[in-house]
Amino acid sequence: MSPNRQGFPKLLHIGEILYLFLIALSFYLLFLSRTGEARTVWEVLHPAFIPTLFVTTSLLLTILLASREGAHNLLFVIVHSILIHSLFSIVFPAGDLSGQQMALGRTRLVYDNAILHGWPPWPIETIQSQIYTRFGGINFQAALSVIFARMLSIDLLWVHLFLVPVLGGVFTPIAVYLTTYTFTKNKKVAVLASLLISAFPYATYFGAISVPNSLGFIFFFYSLYFMLKNLDSNDSKTTFLMLAFSFFSLLSHNLTGIISFSLLFLSLAFKSYRGEKSPSITAKISLVTSFILCASLLPFSLIYLRLFRAGTYTAFTLEKFYELPLEEIAGLFLIGELTYGFNLETILLNVIGPALALLYMIYRLYRLKKNPTAEFRIHLFFLSAAFLMILVDYRILKLFMEKLPLNEERLWVFRDFIAAPFVALAIYAAGSSLKTFLKATSLPTISLSSLKALPKRTVLHVLSLIFTLNFAGLRALCKRNSLRILSMLFTLNILIPLVLGGWITLSLSAAYPQVAPLQTTWYELEAVKYIEENTKEKYVVIGDSWTIFAGEMIVGLNNPRAYYFGEYNKTGYDLFVNMKQEPSPQWMLLAMNYTDTTTAYFIVTEPRLGTEEYNRVVTQALQNDDIQVYGVFGEGKLYVFYYEK
Amino acid sequence: MSGLFQLSKVETLVAQDQKLIFTLASYVLILIIYINLNLPQSPILGLAASLSYFLINGIFLGRAFFEKEPAFFRLMFGVLLLIMLLGFVGWLVIIIYNLDVTRFTLVLFIVATLSSLLNKRVENKNVT
Repeated sequence: MSPNRQGFPKLLHIGEILYLFLIALSFYLLFLSRTGEARTVWEVLHPAFIPTLFVTTSLLLTILLASREGAHNLLFVIVHSILIHSLFSIVFPAGDLSGQQMALGRTRLVYDNAILHGWPPWPIETIQSQIYTRFGGINFQAALSVIFARMLSIDLLWVHLFLVPVLGGVFTPIAVYLTTYTFTKNKKVAVLASLLISAFPYATYFGAISVPNSLGFIFFFYSLYFMLKNLDSNDSKTTFLMLAFSFFSLLSHNLTGIISFSLLFLSLAFKSYRGEKSPSITAKISLVTSFILCASLLPFSLIYLRLFRAGTYTAFTLEKFYELPLEEIAGLFLIGELTYGFNLETILLNVIGPALALLYMIYRLYRLKKNPTAEFRIHLFFLSAAFLMILVDYRILKLFMEKLPLNEERLWVFRDFIAAPFVALAIYAAGSSLKTFLKATSLPTISLSSLKALPKRTVLHVLSLIFTLNFAGLRALCKRNSLRILSMLFTLNILIPLVLGGWITLSLSAAYPQVAPLQTTWYELEAVKYIEENTKEKYVVIGDSWTIFAGEMIVGLNNPRAYYFGEYNKTGYDLFVNMKQEPSPQWMLLAMNYTDTTTAYFIVTEPRLGTEEYNRVVTQALQNDDIQVYGVFGEGKLYVFYYEK
Repeated sequence: MSGLFQLSKVETLVAQDQKLIFTLASYVLILIIYINLNLPQSPILGLAASLSYFLINGIFLGRAFFEKEPAFFRLMFGVLLLIMLLGFVGWLVIIIYNLDVTRFTLVLFIVATLSSLLNKRVENKNVT
């Protein structure tokens, strides 16, 4: 080993220690950003968080690109991944105001043993509906959350908030690494891909919220990995694991399950095609037919979902083509939902990764045509077909279907997962080409170790030019042959990490919403906790949907002992509207009779109603002698009134 | 590297499971988790017991299914499979009745036993 090489690990170790310090600082800054009243994370993020994250990510990329170890660096990527998936859970007291609170509302009932046989608590009429609800994903997630909460002896709220950010943060980078490594056998590309998945906003968003769909994505990632492995293996364990992960993907969420099984059938078709010694036209046609069948599985299963789920009216339609102008249809076809009301930055951040992956995929397929005996040929074909299938399915759902039970953009997570390895490959190939080009111009070496060979004064001079962004000065320096090595170092070890680090950091702005309603506040949570802790009798709470979100997180939804109406329950909504218009015991009595309880609470919150409306409701309620004030929270922003039978 | 070496040593020791000592340790951990849940309710004790439970049974399952993978991935896969197994058995118990403290303990016990059996199966195969 040369003296330069001996010094190299030292630099790397210093970089690793610095990275650990910076990531700890990022977590600390995130904890400092924690707030009890905000709409978006962007309102309250510590001003130093994003710059620190940018430096941390760039440093991590420098370590990944400079290091020779692959799996070892994966631990750093995992910590980074947990950080960027934890913004909602750390900043907001009740996580993101979304489906994850609804999921917790249902899980809480299981945790408190308030229901038997899982969600839903009411009887289900048909066998198909029973299958759908029991396999619906919420019960599987509830099982995991409850088991973890009991194992750790901590409240379910904490386990639920961090379930997916931690599981996704740990297992998604590993899945990307393994998938990439399977068809590249390059540890550097694999570890780069495992970090680059964070540059895809939708993948980050779904990794940040604890909903069944997010869990399903994790299992899907592994099912895809085992499908790839199964392409050139006849090991029964691989086949079993491929099936097992696809099954768990289905158990977590029907969307991820359907896509997993669609790709599983496609992979089997590819495997059988590969088995042909010299593929005939018939074999090729059968492969194309398999692709069409697999691609049609999702649209048709959404149509036939009505057999399992009442009130689903998904159908094929050409309405959009009749109603929408051509440019809007073209927009929907190309960038989907991003056509509506998003800025250019968001569009670019959502599109750049998949577009880069698609271009590189086409390039690789073109190269494969010239080299029929290339290694991993079938893997590349399969992944490209899977990517294409997702693109096709998204457009079918977006343009040719209506009344879908979910938003089509969820398909982007599948697309992004397949795209990440190709983006990493493209970047690595570009870096390698640059290396080759610079080597060809008679430069001695291009590694970071070369830095040590240069006089310290020169290094400091160049670094000062880099950090002051004095590119003209740098160019002038680079013209001198002795310093051209530094221009390479700059490009490969500084510029690429900076650009990629900037991309990953910027992607957070598209991953975490810029506009949102007021998240569950600390005083809403405090109020519902106070009611729960101080009420011995069975009670019902009349409140808006925001109160229901807060309440269901603490006592569960439709809990017979502590009743909160469903988020979309009409009776609950009507009772709240009536109470708002005319605060009177009659509505509270009605609620008690309806829910078989003996105490009723009415909650109003100023930021939800608006100051004027809030003041009116509170004044009217205070004037009514039959209704008593139970508590005031948030320095007068929330009133709880009560009435007993 | 030394970290991975240590992990490999721990893994070999646990996977051999001589005289079922680690299976029994796993049962003791379940008992600790159960007692902790009913009496002190200490998150630190819960975390320590749960991590040990995950380590032992994760190693068992990793060995059973991913013998050829490197040690780190073997452990991670083992932990993932353990989570899946816990979720699956827990889900079944929820559907059948409910997941109260007693049934939760039963879930841990079933999963630990299954993991140990699968590990023993592979260990016996390797011996023969």
